[in-house]
Amino acid sequence: MSRYEVNSLLYRLKKDRVFRARFNADPDGALAGLDLTDGERAAFRARDMERINALGGYLHLVMSVPGMAAHVTHTEPE
Amino acid sequence: MGKIVFAAAMSHVLDPDYYQAACGLTGRRKVEACMAEIEKLGETFLARRPDALIVVADDHLNAFSFNAVPAICVRIGRYVNRMIQDDAEAFDKVLDGMPERYTLHEELANRILEDGLGAGFDLALSWEAPIDHAFLSPVMTMHGARPVTPLVPIWINCFVAPQPTPARCFAFGRHIARVVATSPWNVGLIATGGLSHFPELRLPRVGESDVVFDQKLLGWLAEGEHEPLRSLTPAELDKAGEHEFLNWMTLIGAVTPARADVRYFGELGRINLAAVEWRVA
Repeated sequence: MSRYEVNSLLYRLKKDRVFRARFNADPDGALAGLDLTDGERAAFRARDMERINALGGYLHLVMSVPGMAAHVTHTEPE
Repeated sequence: MGKIVFAAAMSHVLDPDYYQAACGLTGRRKVEACMAEIEKLGETFLARRPDALIVVADDHLNAFSFNAVPAICVRIGRYVNRMIQDDAEAFDKVLDGMPERYTLHEELANRILEDGLGAGFDLALSWEAPIDHAFLSPVMTMHGARPVTPLVPIWINCFVAPQPTPARCFAFGRHIARVVATSPWNVGLIATGGLSHFPELRLPRVGESDVVFDQKLLGWLAEGEHEPLRSLTPAELDKAGEHEFLNWMTLIGAVTPARADVRYFGELGRINLAAVEWRVA
């Protein structure tokens, strides 16, 4: 697990609109050259935010990357 | 001689649309009730004619990611900008429409920083870090359309382990109190975030909160029993979803042994919403 690589990638996806567009158009190309494990690379390619969180991705990032954010909803009792 | 004229802590995603989307009408109603109490706290605060408002809050991986993550950071300079997030989602959306620039109380911030380093607190400083909803959602709810009081934003690292200990945050709060007492200003102090939510920061646990832990904390605050709070550990806070209580610990250190009055507590699985005022006037 590479906590820094996972989170710096999440951060870049959130804050860098150009990189985010590149990732959306060509995930493999955007991820090329990054120091990710095969599992981490697969999780990002699948946009699996729960898996990314389990791999060390900070919760507030996985819940707020535009277009990829995990939206957990639930009904609250009255 | 300066004085802390107002002290309160409160939840900091004050957005009915967010809670309705996350957990339905119950969420919306409860955050609206919490916001109504925070608006009243704003009236109380402004009636005391404060010169500055210290805001102790946390960074949600927006300002300090990842070239440095300070344990405690004081924002200095003349102005601070709010975070700008394109295509904002979830809790980031609450910032949309807020003013982009806010005046800082430069001299108070500098005293907290410089005296702090002299007193053994190895504080970080920033001239550039923007502030996110943790600061501005409570500040704007308290002020409404009125001019915003000059701010002193202070970040506590609540989320990126290893965090500072509750005892250290409490000690830093004592430092803030000493600085204010030797200043010429009337100062308000708020701590934001919480209460219990997002235990262990795991996505599958979003929707769980620890009401029992919160009630224990609020009981101690109401009685002014601060010693048990200083013994809490970051691991306990992580398990109970109380990460942002580190911000509260800083405020508690600044006002100890004052007792608190719970103005609002609303149970939600998403988060237990709260607004608490300390008897400092």
